[in-house]
Amino acid sequence: MEEWRFIDFGLVDIRDMMAMDEAILKSDEGNTFFFWTPKKSIILGFFQKAEVELNLSQCKDYTITRRISGGGIAFSDERCRQVNYGVVGTIDNALFPMDIIGSYKQICGVLIDTLIHYKLNAAFRPINDVVVDNKKISGNAQTRWEGKLLQNGTLLLDFDIEEMLRISNIPKEKFMDKKIASVREGLTWLDRELGEQRDMEEIKNVMKKKFEERFSIRLKSGSLSGKEIKLTETLLPKYYSDEWVYR
Amino acid sequence: MEIKTSQGIHKSKGGLIRSFVATENGRIKEINISGDFFLFPEEAFFKIAGELKGIKAKREDIEHKIEEIYIRENIQSPGTSPADFTESIMKALEV
Repeated sequence: MEEWRFIDFGLVDIRDMMAMDEAILKSDEGNTFFFWTPKKSIILGFFQKAEVELNLSQCKDYTITRRISGGGIAFSDERCRQVNYGVVGTIDNALFPMDIIGSYKQICGVLIDTLIHYKLNAAFRPINDVVVDNKKISGNAQTRWEGKLLQNGTLLLDFDIEEMLRISNIPKEKFMDKKIASVREGLTWLDRELGEQRDMEEIKNVMKKKFEERFSIRLKSGSLSGKEIKLTETLLPKYYSDEWVYR
Repeated sequence: MEIKTSQGIHKSKGGLIRSFVATENGRIKEINISGDFFLFPEEAFFKIAGELKGIKAKREDIEHKIEEIYIRENIQSPGTSPADFTESIMKALEV
């Protein structure tokens, strides 16, 4: 059976993580699946302006950076109960479709299979969300580079909605076409759905297994290559710079 | 002459598009776009605001220009079309 690389980065500074993320995409170490848990932070989508999307005066104790993929802000509170994942794969029209929505659906399938394992009514909501009973539980963002794709996403285990509303400027238009009146009705998280806190390592193991099943491969624990570490070091200043974050 | 920047918000199927536009003598003088949409290749996005500067602040002109950039740069933006960007910009112009 084919083996793909697996890495668990643990609790990370998102600026370091976004540099490693880009380095994995732009190196050539084969298909990779990885996890990380962000410290208290905000990651802006590629097309978002910080001063438009965020209430910056309320964000002073957050680490803020930007990622190379589009989509909305990824907000992580100090509860640190989120499983974030990354997938780097070669677009082959079988496992990773060329069609953008098709490829989101394929990778989001891992999250859906995981949630179904916990007996939840999970589904894909195009373009890039996974929902439980039509409430968003996972946001995902993809970019592509030289025949490969990078998808990042989060599975919310716990989430401080009030805090997210305090730091962001979300206009009412955001929710109007989703048949929900407000952000509070539109989001959920695993602890709430299950009525108990599951161990994060247990959830990650379920996700890993569902990933292996969906792609018919085996995940083998590994680490960044020398080339990736070198590229990460080159990319780090960007993710720490105001020019990138506040452009 | 005073230049006023207005905001327009439009929700496409692919995300929220917020446009900030200033005009002078009926033409776009400054334009910034922020949003949670997806667009590939990402770098081509900067050409949209860059090339809209100086053109007539009219729906047909704006949409035509964006469509031209989409074709030239081979842009794909699932759930968001040139018409959606145009709508967001028009909402700013109509403020």
